Amino acid sequence: MSWDRAVRRVGYALAAVVAAMAGQSESASSQEVRWGRSYFPNVVLQDQHGRSLRFYDDIIRGKVVSINFVYTTCTDICPLDTAQLRQVQQILGDRVGRDVHMYTISINPERDRPEDLRRFMRTYDIAPGWTFLTGARADIDLLQQRLGLRPVDERNLREHETSIVVGNEATGRWIKRSAYESPQLLADLLGRVLHNYGPPVTSTRETYAVAGEVTDRSRGFYLFRTRCRSCHTIGEGDRLGPDLRGVASARSHAWLSRWIREPDVMIAERDPTAMALLARYRNLPMPNLGLNEAEANQIIDYLRREDSAATSTQP
Amino acid sequence: MQKIASGWQSTRKLRAVWVAGIVSVLAFGVSTPTLAQEDDVGPKYDIPTGAPPSPLFGAQPFTQPMMLFEEFGTQPIPTSNCTNCAPLPPPSSCSGTPNSAALDSFLRQPLSPLPTREANVSLPSYWATAVGNCVRPLASSAVEGRPPGEWFAHQRWEEFFPRVYLQTAVAGARTNTGLRDSAQRHRYAVGEFRRSGGLYYRNGTTRGMQVRFHPNFPVQDTNSVWTFDGTVPPKLLQARYGEPILFRNHNALPVDFSANNGFGAHTLSTHLHNGHNPAESDGFAGAFFFPGQFYDYRWPMALAGHDTINTDATNPRAGAPDGAGGVTRVRGDWRETQSTLWFHDHMLDYTAQNVYKGNAAMMNIYSAVDRGREGLRCNYSNPNNANLCLPSGTALDWGNRDYDVNLLIADKAWDSNGQLFFNIFNLDGFLGDQVLVNFTWRPFLDVRARRYRLRILNGAVSRNFQLALVTQTGQRVPFHMVANDGNIMEHAIPFPNAQSQDLPEIAIAERYDIVVDFSRFAPGTRLYLVNRLEHRDGRGPKETIPLAEVLSGEYDGDPAVGRIMEFRVQSYGGVDRSMNPVMYEPGGRTMVPLPAVPANVLQTAVRRDFEFARSGNTDSMPWTIRTDGGNGMGADMSVVSAAPTLNRWEIWRLHSGGGWQHPVHIHFEEGRILTRDGAPPPLWEQGARKDVFRVGDDPTGHSSGEVEVLLRFREFAGTFVEHCHNTQHEDHAMLLRWDARRPGQVVAVPAPIPDWEGVYYEPSVDLPTAVRN
Repeated sequence: MSWDRAVRRVGYALAAVVAAMAGQSESASSQEVRWGRSYFPNVVLQDQHGRSLRFYDDIIRGKVVSINFVYTTCTDICPLDTAQLRQVQQILGDRVGRDVHMYTISINPERDRPEDLRRFMRTYDIAPGWTFLTGARADIDLLQQRLGLRPVDERNLREHETSIVVGNEATGRWIKRSAYESPQLLADLLGRVLHNYGPPVTSTRETYAVAGEVTDRSRGFYLFRTRCRSCHTIGEGDRLGPDLRGVASARSHAWLSRWIREPDVMIAERDPTAMALLARYRNLPMPNLGLNEAEANQIIDYLRREDSAATSTQP
Repeated sequence: MQKIASGWQSTRKLRAVWVAGIVSVLAFGVSTPTLAQEDDVGPKYDIPTGAPPSPLFGAQPFTQPMMLFEEFGTQPIPTSNCTNCAPLPPPSSCSGTPNSAALDSFLRQPLSPLPTREANVSLPSYWATAVGNCVRPLASSAVEGRPPGEWFAHQRWEEFFPRVYLQTAVAGARTNTGLRDSAQRHRYAVGEFRRSGGLYYRNGTTRGMQVRFHPNFPVQDTNSVWTFDGTVPPKLLQARYGEPILFRNHNALPVDFSANNGFGAHTLSTHLHNGHNPAESDGFAGAFFFPGQFYDYRWPMALAGHDTINTDATNPRAGAPDGAGGVTRVRGDWRETQSTLWFHDHMLDYTAQNVYKGNAAMMNIYSAVDRGREGLRCNYSNPNNANLCLPSGTALDWGNRDYDVNLLIADKAWDSNGQLFFNIFNLDGFLGDQVLVNFTWRPFLDVRARRYRLRILNGAVSRNFQLALVTQTGQRVPFHMVANDGNIMEHAIPFPNAQSQDLPEIAIAERYDIVVDFSRFAPGTRLYLVNRLEHRDGRGPKETIPLAEVLSGEYDGDPAVGRIMEFRVQSYGGVDRSMNPVMYEPGGRTMVPLPAVPANVLQTAVRRDFEFARSGNTDSMPWTIRTDGGNGMGADMSVVSAAPTLNRWEIWRLHSGGGWQHPVHIHFEEGRILTRDGAPPPLWEQGARKDVFRVGDDPTGHSSGEVEVLLRFREFAGTFVEHCHNTQHEDHAMLLRWDARRPGQVVAVPAPIPDWEGVYYEPSVDLPTAVRN
């Protein structure tokens, strides 16, 4: 068959699809179908238990959802992604799985089988209500396209789009968000905005009179807030990673700086401290977030300041 | 099916169009090279983005007159409360809108309740009951959606107390009932608007006008198009310096979010681009309001420099027409006079969809220098006269529109039913395949054989234009550019010139005012406005197509390239008393000189750096802005990226990597372009002040990878934004918050969190580099 004829044949088939879509939108009241069944592919995916779920019918139809794409062997941005979403899940509590549905889909489906998803979830200590999915690469590529994301070649997984797509299938409201965004903002989108601002505001609000004191303006604080805080606290106990109170004096500056900058390399070199940490925190590796030496120093300075502030305020 | 299949049997070209359209349905949301491209049957791009071509229902180009803007009209602010005024009429259902007649009756009433300095939270939302039934029972609500308390209270309220007001409701498309007929300053009685012999009388009413882009096209559904009043023509506000305006915008959109025909948000924030306005009236993206509420925007109509320059209001060039042939003088720097502005929705995440859906109006400011009245003590006859006498008319003391025409140009797409379509999933930028001028598809406009001022606004989502004005035989028509964005320039720049034959590239939200002399042409002549700038996707313009290729029909790429409107020259029996722009060319007289700058400003100014890019510099990362070499960040209304102190000079360097283009818009203040890639800017950006700065990919040679802009913020403080005005980029989420602070201010304005029950606040945080001492 010539290319021209092939194009024509495909074209006829697609023309029928187009005509069917047009017919649907004529018959439907308003345009519920515009971003509904006729738009989203109903491809079949497998969850972490190996159960088959249809994307449109079982995963998004009538639901408020967050959808993001990771691969379980990712060592840079995906861990931050997942840690951020884990915070979102904690903020939303038992609403996740009930009126907010969280989905993470593998972009390395040949490698990530259901058991890999389960292991990944254990590593991140993911609570129930958040579903991980894998499937056929072509289907997952198509899903990414329809959600406005750019699929990447399996050789360029590191370049994959880390955005989080949140939406309400019932109202046709879809928004793409960055993984760096504060978990509070994402939780507000999922828990309130996408429900047509239905649930009342629940988080603690400060009155405008006391809000907004310009706080720590240091770069170290900014980096800690956006890059570290989803896994670590200072003096409030372990999260996914250890409590960092006192770490700046417990470890040498050189070790800490390098650990912040290239933890993946240190793990590969089997640095003894790194291996001990890995074992202690469910084999969840510290991610390489691409921070440079100056940034690492700013974070360490910030940790030191926090330590001394805590010491000076103790009775 | 039959129709589509038959398309395949016809010419190769037509087939290519279908392939492109259908492939784009498959690849929805992602720019992919089409099959047709590889087959080399003519490059076809994914335009409209992710949809088949917009059907034309047999319409022929240049068969309908262009709609002219309809004036909102203003009225004196009432001094006493209305005791028997009705509330905003309720919606017919959760997904419905108010009854049209009831809405008109409501809008005809006097302003009630009276405006207040702090947001009016003493009355409940007009639609508290409906919201209670449709969303949830409300424990509280407020009639005004402005954030409460001091943070968003009107600054300098008594000093700039509103003298006039206008109220409108953003509502679903409906038939115009002639609500504003009597508010037209010409009253369909004078000049070209008069009944006998006027070019623009048009039955003396807008009653009966439906929202449709051509008589052959279907009428737009209520929820396909949302506009001010819910009607067309598009609306124009005529304002004067020294006359503070209260703009009460009611939200009459459906309570149910999904009643939007596929795109658009029912929550609103209205930005007056680029008024010298305090932050609470700027239309901050995070200060949005809900259906059933209003928001009072108070626009002071003060010249920048009010506090420091001409404080005794003696300069005769600083002022506004008094309605009786004179000038009411005002304080401030007359060199800061603004002319052509627009206001539009600025809802967080939804600017692109809402503006595309129709939420945009234009605003002409009238002043001593730009009075909208030719032949009255003109500067061309005596250089001591302020009035530049730009083409306008003579019937009214100010604001004549006979020969001063607003043109809002925007690309659109519609579905097989003719209903407006937007692809919400394409975040590279959305492109339509059809260009509308003033919401009319390929219209004609009758013009007299005399000079005209055309105020051209690019109101698109992701498309830049490069417009040529040509005769039927393709000869270029000369013209002058007299204003760039909101500002009249030092000199009128003639076109063609050494740097550009046609009107320069105009990015989203940019405005160019041009003066065209149609008296060069015999009555009966037809002229065309032609778009030459090709896009292949929403990342930015691709290339300028040679005029001959466009006009011959040889070019068949981007469907929005080509003739977009026609001018039909009619005889003129009057006397043209407007200025001849030749007199104001470089080397000649000046129109509005640039404000003075201290000699050492380059050494002393505070410098900031904003990089517009994908974070990580890959296409797969989200849109971000990197401030002062810090981390790339998306929009976060609680993070202050820059906190300039009032009255200090600042130099902002805006830049972007290759492959994409970002028209960067800085709210509140016009900047002066110092350099583009280190070199002087083009002719039309010299002696000009701008509020939109194109950076990044530059196929036209009119832009640059980086630009340095000189700015100074004065008079008003608060929370503003800066963003890419490719509104799809802006919404996802290439926008940052910056705050103007008074000297000594150490507390950041908290971030408003609007809700049906009222607006809450959350703390804000400064970036490390926000404050400079």
